[in-house]
Amino acid sequence: MPTTKRFFDPHIHMSSRTTICYQEMAEAGIRAVIEPAFWLGQPRTNVGSFIDYFSSLIGFERFRASQFGIQHFCTIGLNSKEANDEGLAKEVIEILPRFALKEGVVAIGEIGYDEITSAEEKAYIAQLEFAVEHDMVVMVHSPHRDKHNGILRSMDVAAEVGLDMEKLIVDHNNEETFRAVLDRGCWAGFTIYPHTKMDSVRMVDIVEANGPDRIIVNSSADWGISDHLSVPKTAGLMERRGIDAAWIEKTCWSNAMEAYGQSGEIDVDSLNRDQVVDQTQMFGDTTILRGQTPRVDEGAGVV
Amino acid sequence: MSTKVILRSFLESQAAMIKDGGLDWLDAASDEITGCGLEGMEDTRFGVLLSLASRKLGHSAKRSWSLSKSEVDSAGILREGWNPTHWTALEAARVHLILSRMDLELESGAQAIESAFRFADEGELCALYRSLAHLPGGKRFVWRAAEGCRTNMVSVFAADVLDTPYPAEHFDAVAFNQAVIKALFVGVPLHRLWSLDRRLSADLARMALDLADERRSAGREISPDLWLCLGTFSGERGLAALELEIARAPRLSDEEALFGPRAAVLALGRAGATQRLREIIASGDSSLAPEAELALGGEAMQHSWSRFVAPTLC
Ligand SMILES: [Zn+2]
Repeated sequence: MPTTKRFFDPHIHMSSRTTICYQEMAEAGIRAVIEPAFWLGQPRTNVGSFIDYFSSLIGFERFRASQFGIQHFCTIGLNSKEANDEGLAKEVIEILPRFALKEGVVAIGEIGYDEITSAEEKAYIAQLEFAVEHDMVVMVHSPHRDKHNGILRSMDVAAEVGLDMEKLIVDHNNEETFRAVLDRGCWAGFTIYPHTKMDSVRMVDIVEANGPDRIIVNSSADWGISDHLSVPKTAGLMERRGIDAAWIEKTCWSNAMEAYGQSGEIDVDSLNRDQVVDQTQMFGDTTILRGQTPRVDEGAGVV
Repeated sequence: MSTKVILRSFLESQAAMIKDGGLDWLDAASDEITGCGLEGMEDTRFGVLLSLASRKLGHSAKRSWSLSKSEVDSAGILREGWNPTHWTALEAARVHLILSRMDLELESGAQAIESAFRFADEGELCALYRSLAHLPGGKRFVWRAAEGCRTNMVSVFAADVLDTPYPAEHFDAVAFNQAVIKALFVGVPLHRLWSLDRRLSADLARMALDLADERRSAGREISPDLWLCLGTFSGERGLAALELEIARAPRLSDEEALFGPRAAVLALGRAGATQRLREIIASGDSSLAPEAELALGGEAMQHSWSRFVAPTLC
């Protein structure tokens, strides 16, 4: 395990994970997460499903995380896949203002392109405009197919709409794409998947060769095969490979805080202090822990 | 003086916890809402203002505030049963905005509140539930308040039922008893459920005793607050349960572990077992005698249970 024992996973879909994941993440030193709004593995059929999903991101999931001493932030947006259902997309974009300005919403995201269709572009632009109007950060999901071209187009369109490039995080980069993102002045996210996209070894190579600036490591763990401990594991590998502790700290902790902190929604001081776990909130049969003894750190707060 | 005005004055005294410009923003937002008159502000805009309060007042406004005793007292005089000690500045600001609506007495105003509930995050839910006792026609929100008891978020449940006159004034026996038992399950301080003493019943005592049996069978701790639920309705079964709890005392050394037996002694007083209290005093047991004295002196009302709250939960 690395000596830098505090981590920020700025892309992870906790609603799809169990309390064991939360426990292991807290033990591994993950103090904060960002849960981007995304699709659920299958398309939703009505706007009510989005309302309930967004509500869970700003409500129950945040509460669930807090019981493990993990601060939970989220991004709100209409993902690119579902943007292709144009009637529904229109309704979802209409309700975005009711969620996007909530406490702890650190960006509009994950938005962008999937198949690079005109319907996707329409939803993308509408959401960029909302972000610019409210001075928000934007997190773009880069497409799996035609990735390089998709990323360039995402950045071009965002710039055209008037988004400050420092407020744009482009996620799911690889060796072929990240330089263009950094050159443009954006932040480059890297997703460490166990088998696909990036793995920890390739990630360490990139940091070793390019330095830590504006590079953000995340797990994107979700309902698929993925690893909720990708960030601490990658940090551990960096340490074993002799990478400077300050670089590890940047890529696995402070860069994410700085990029998403531009929203003003991250209480950086409180995150830098030691976390206090209050599991009294989960005591009892109606909550998450059933019958276990709650863990209460000294100084845990009040309900 | 109205709740809206008094909240604004509390916020003034807590200005150090509020981001620069936050109070100016609040006043402008309040004026904007009031300016919509009886027609009422449209739902999306109202929801956005409730959300923005968090961004405009800043992170410190989400931490617990410290009102003076006279401020807390004045709140209780204005609205009996209301205790804002455990509110935050952000919650006060949001309730201030809610009370800025001119249409609250109308059906459309009630609908606007319900719409705000449906789109609320955790912090907004707490503020909305805290506002219920201060809205005209409170009865209209009784379904919503019961919904707040069904939440899994302890913060929201506490905002719904503690430090507010709402449950005692509007819940029927089923809803009220459910709120009490849920408070025991999730471990929020039950003595802060206003007027619990006046809503005690044989039914509630039975539910509490069932819960005590269940806990004991599972080898789990029984909350000292559980004994609050017996009142004068303990009966033979309740007295036996209290004795069982008191009998644990000699095996306990830790201060907090003794809360249970000591609360059971207070509960004996509520049950009218004065002879038994005298015996406890005569036995010279220093861990239980103080409560026996208190109970004999008639000091066994629900607020006496504040002495059994662990420091982390007060
Ligand atoms: Zn994702």
